[in-house]
Amino acid sequence: MTAPVTGPVEQAKAAIEYCYAQGWTDGLPVVPATSADIEACLATTDADGAEVIGSVPHLGRSVTVAQAAANAIMAGCQPDYFPIVLAAWQAVRQERASRGAWQSTSGPAPLIVVNGPVRARLGINSRGGVFGPGFRANMTIPRAIGLIVRNGFGVRPQQLEQATQGLPGRWSICLGENEEMSPWPPLSVVGGVPAGSDAVSAMLIRTCEYVDNRSTDSAEAVLHDFADSLARIGAYVGGPHSSGGLVLGPEHAQLLGNAGYSRSDVQQWLFEHAVRSRAEMIAAGKGEHTGPAEDGTAEDGDQPFALMPAAADIPILVAGAANAAMSMVFRPFGWAAWSGKSVPVAYRTSAEKVH
Amino acid sequence: MFDSIIDPTVSQANPTEYDRLVLAARPESLSGLRLGLLANTKRNAEQFLDEVGQLLAGQHGMQVVLAMKKPDITSTAPELTLAELSAECDVVVIGVGDCGSCSASAVADGILLEQAGTPSAVIVTEAFTVSADAMAELRGAPRYRYVTVPHPVANLTPDGVRSRAAQARSAIVGLLTEPAMAVSA
Repeated sequence: MTAPVTGPVEQAKAAIEYCYAQGWTDGLPVVPATSADIEACLATTDADGAEVIGSVPHLGRSVTVAQAAANAIMAGCQPDYFPIVLAAWQAVRQERASRGAWQSTSGPAPLIVVNGPVRARLGINSRGGVFGPGFRANMTIPRAIGLIVRNGFGVRPQQLEQATQGLPGRWSICLGENEEMSPWPPLSVVGGVPAGSDAVSAMLIRTCEYVDNRSTDSAEAVLHDFADSLARIGAYVGGPHSSGGLVLGPEHAQLLGNAGYSRSDVQQWLFEHAVRSRAEMIAAGKGEHTGPAEDGTAEDGDQPFALMPAAADIPILVAGAANAAMSMVFRPFGWAAWSGKSVPVAYRTSAEKVH
Repeated sequence: MFDSIIDPTVSQANPTEYDRLVLAARPESLSGLRLGLLANTKRNAEQFLDEVGQLLAGQHGMQVVLAMKKPDITSTAPELTLAELSAECDVVVIGVGDCGSCSASAVADGILLEQAGTPSAVIVTEAFTVSADAMAELRGAPRYRYVTVPHPVANLTPDGVRSRAAQARSAIVGLLTEPAMAVSA
């Protein structure tokens, strides 16, 4: 027997089903957005609702601030997350790799990193289980980005989106950096935003892979372990190099910090050691761009091929709990790991706003 | 009942509504006509189009007058590139759409050239017809036709590219000369 749509709970469920029927969801239920919700989001920002914050000329689609607000609400965001959503959207958009990403067979996911006091204010997790789930802001902010792409740009899986497999966690990776347990300045400082202010950084990634090393107190041994993962041939797609970055667990970060390594020391070490021989690249059918000869002859087969683009292009941040020595290697999409630019979060400054 | 729910797909920025596509008039024969090639940056795309150019020159008396490469696989070709192709060429062959974004943008290039009055044939690999069709529908040409070739093209040897181009030749000629073939009924 189907219950009549009479009570508030039945009506709420019917509204969710209505959104499914319109094709507006990513497969999970969405929160239906109303004009009051849009107003509540717009109240958090100086941005005008009609302002265009992204367009895809070849698809003839543009996205406005108000539209972003509707999708943020649908994703489950509270209105006071909206400045973070806007900053995350800008951070994603400014990454060169995002231009073709949404239609790409590689199906990359935004990796969104939040720095600053807003982490505590909005409950953005930076500690245990940081890759989620379990924390509303961490789950809903990246989901908002995904719904904006789907509903705003009209890029849907198996249509204009052609991801071959995609990756686990697409549209759900948002980390607070564990600044409190990091031996180094926040990622957002690397990204050009002063310490202590709220900022969002974004990359597009193709996967994450863990490095579990609780076996040594040697900084160099742990670095070797990271370099081995960074140099994985499977992540190399041809061309000049691969790409990789690290979300260090606090234990690994502190081991390195206590051994005197700065962030850039770690980057340099990894750049120098994340190499494969040409012979190994050729054996995997990927020798084409690794040097002058194609045949892996003895003369040049031992020559090293650096998998990382440059030391500075190995983004490193710290997140997670200090309860076990494990870290995550992530794989930026494309050949440009990260623009190196963080986006300051812009909050509403004036009481009055002209619409 | 749910009129108060905001439609998240509607932009106040008024997304572009494309006019329904009217295809360019087709020549009866390709003989003596000027051929343009528009490649993307995918591996083997230029080689494939070069083979097509040689076949159309050798077997259909065409002359390859422009071979261009667009800088960005995701977007349509720059306006100047399309204008030049349209001005200098009688027909254009475009390709190769063998990735998620480039198949769609190749179709968009073809449609833009048709709108500029230049008959075009777009090459898309079989893996990306859905993406190509989605772009065609978006651009007001829901039954737009293109040439499909087996996927992939990027990993072919030079001989493989040559034979794949030879397989596609008659379909390309058909799309460029027979209006009925260019849009399916």
